[in-house]
Amino acid sequence: MTSEPVVVLAHGLGGSSDLPIPYTYALIGAAWALTFTFAVVALAWRKPRFDPDKPGHALPQWVTTVVDASLTRWALAAAGLLFAAWVAMAAFFGRPDGNPVPGVFYVLMWVGLVAASVAIGPIWRAISPTRALYRLLRLARLPAGGGYPRRLGYWPAVVGLFAFVWLELASPDPGSVSAIRLWLLAYIVITLTGAIVCGDRWFGRADPFEVYSVVASRFSPLRRSPQSGRIEVGNPFDHLPTLPIRPGTVTVLGVLLGSTAFDSFSAMPVWRTFVDRQTDSAATATLMRTAGLLAFIAVVVVTFWFAARATGGVDARSRQRLPGLMAHSLIPIVLGYMFAHYLSYLIERGQQAVIDLADPLGHGWNLLGLGNAEVNYVLSLHPSVLATIKVCCVVGGHVAGVIAAHDRALRVLPAGYQLTGQLAMMLVMVGYTFTGLYLLFGG
Amino acid sequence: MTATHPDKRFLALLAAGAVLLAGCGSGGDSENAQSSPTTPSATTISPSDMQNEQAPPDRLLIDVTIKGGEVNPTNATLEAKTNEQIVVKVDSDAADELHVHSTPEHTFKIEAKPAQQFQFTVGVPGKVDIELHQLGTTVATVQVQP
Repeated sequence: MTSEPVVVLAHGLGGSSDLPIPYTYALIGAAWALTFTFAVVALAWRKPRFDPDKPGHALPQWVTTVVDASLTRWALAAAGLLFAAWVAMAAFFGRPDGNPVPGVFYVLMWVGLVAASVAIGPIWRAISPTRALYRLLRLARLPAGGGYPRRLGYWPAVVGLFAFVWLELASPDPGSVSAIRLWLLAYIVITLTGAIVCGDRWFGRADPFEVYSVVASRFSPLRRSPQSGRIEVGNPFDHLPTLPIRPGTVTVLGVLLGSTAFDSFSAMPVWRTFVDRQTDSAATATLMRTAGLLAFIAVVVVTFWFAARATGGVDARSRQRLPGLMAHSLIPIVLGYMFAHYLSYLIERGQQAVIDLADPLGHGWNLLGLGNAEVNYVLSLHPSVLATIKVCCVVGGHVAGVIAAHDRALRVLPAGYQLTGQLAMMLVMVGYTFTGLYLLFGG
Repeated sequence: MTATHPDKRFLALLAAGAVLLAGCGSGGDSENAQSSPTTPSATTISPSDMQNEQAPPDRLLIDVTIKGGEVNPTNATLEAKTNEQIVVKVDSDAADELHVHSTPEHTFKIEAKPAQQFQFTVGVPGKVDIELHQLGTTVATVQVQP
């Protein structure tokens, strides 16, 4: 074969992408989504069921003791720092082909973090290298910092998340190691400076990865008991409403959902041909993709905002609070679509990234024997299984979102408006799901 | 490369608008260049056409022309099977690189000459972009089915 390794990867990671799901799968998924939605609105419970204060099944005390032990915390922080140093070595001195940095950045940090957060909780807080650096600085007598301005809310994280999806989906060369390196350096500098100025609140509000991890972890069955702080297993639907409502909460979810949809959309030949026709230079193509990405995010945020407010019987002040109060119901939809879209990336490119990490500099190292492993393309080789999983993720996420929204509507909407007040939200959610399925089916 | 791009719109305008300017060109070559943008890529590269031309039917031929920064076809959608021979035939007036975003990836050097052939197979099913790296143009996306 006259092939040689690719030097610069397009589309972030290069390689092939998933086959479109068959038409019938999309149709069946859409039918189920619609049926479930109206079944929930018309037939489901009429009294709110989910309550964040409802106790779960507490795990044995030693689990909480071990998780909270300062030895565990320092070990996790050290592991995070060590891993970051290893990746930094690859970013600065790695070979151009087979460099693990794009895989670590786009797959492990973006998709792997979500999977881990749903499974066990907001893990980024424990492994974040910037938090670890900050803890070391505090040990060296750094003052605690001034306090985080409440009005900023999640907006710095929105900017950070947008910067991430912009690099992946709109920038001229997403796969370039130097671009990712620059992004990560800026992220570390901004996060550390913010924490030094505003104190450690900054991490929870402004670090895009931590906010992302916290958002995903609200659908985890594992949580801390609000009363005792013990780790317990509970119903994820009781956990969902604990999503903090701050300025920017809805936009965080809008960035996550809108960007994933734009990723599918921007691979469609119609969009590519359109961009090619309109522009000749890479710079204007980047501008057009940026505009497209912003438009997708804006559509999600604006439709959700209007749908949440579209009810009768409330005064202006409580209407203003409705989008925030409903925001948590978007989490399952985001997660479902995220996994539908990136599951094969996580499983297959994730393996590739781990294998590449064994020898980041191309010196023939073989850390932990990982270099001998071969990627198992188990999902790509079975496209119909993958398509079924995708449709199940999207429809499952939709159903969970609808259930969460229904329950919340019963709690926050006034009597007499609990059914009609939900309708706009249900229609918008059906709209998200139909669009998601349409994009997965490839138009 | 960007210097040649303004030609693109100009050429399209010429070809779409009137043939009379074609007569002003220096010869047959420029006439071809002007007429190519008007031909929709779908008709020149439809998979059924390919198979009629080929003796063995399990082979996908993609005919690519690069002339004055203009590529034909672009963003075509094609289908193939895993391990089927995929042949890309390139007539080019400029050096470039052909990137095949399959798993694993393939890269071929394109020279400024006609009738270059590059051949590869794809073992893992998926959507494979075939891209001209210097021009930043996607020639075709091949849906490789198992």
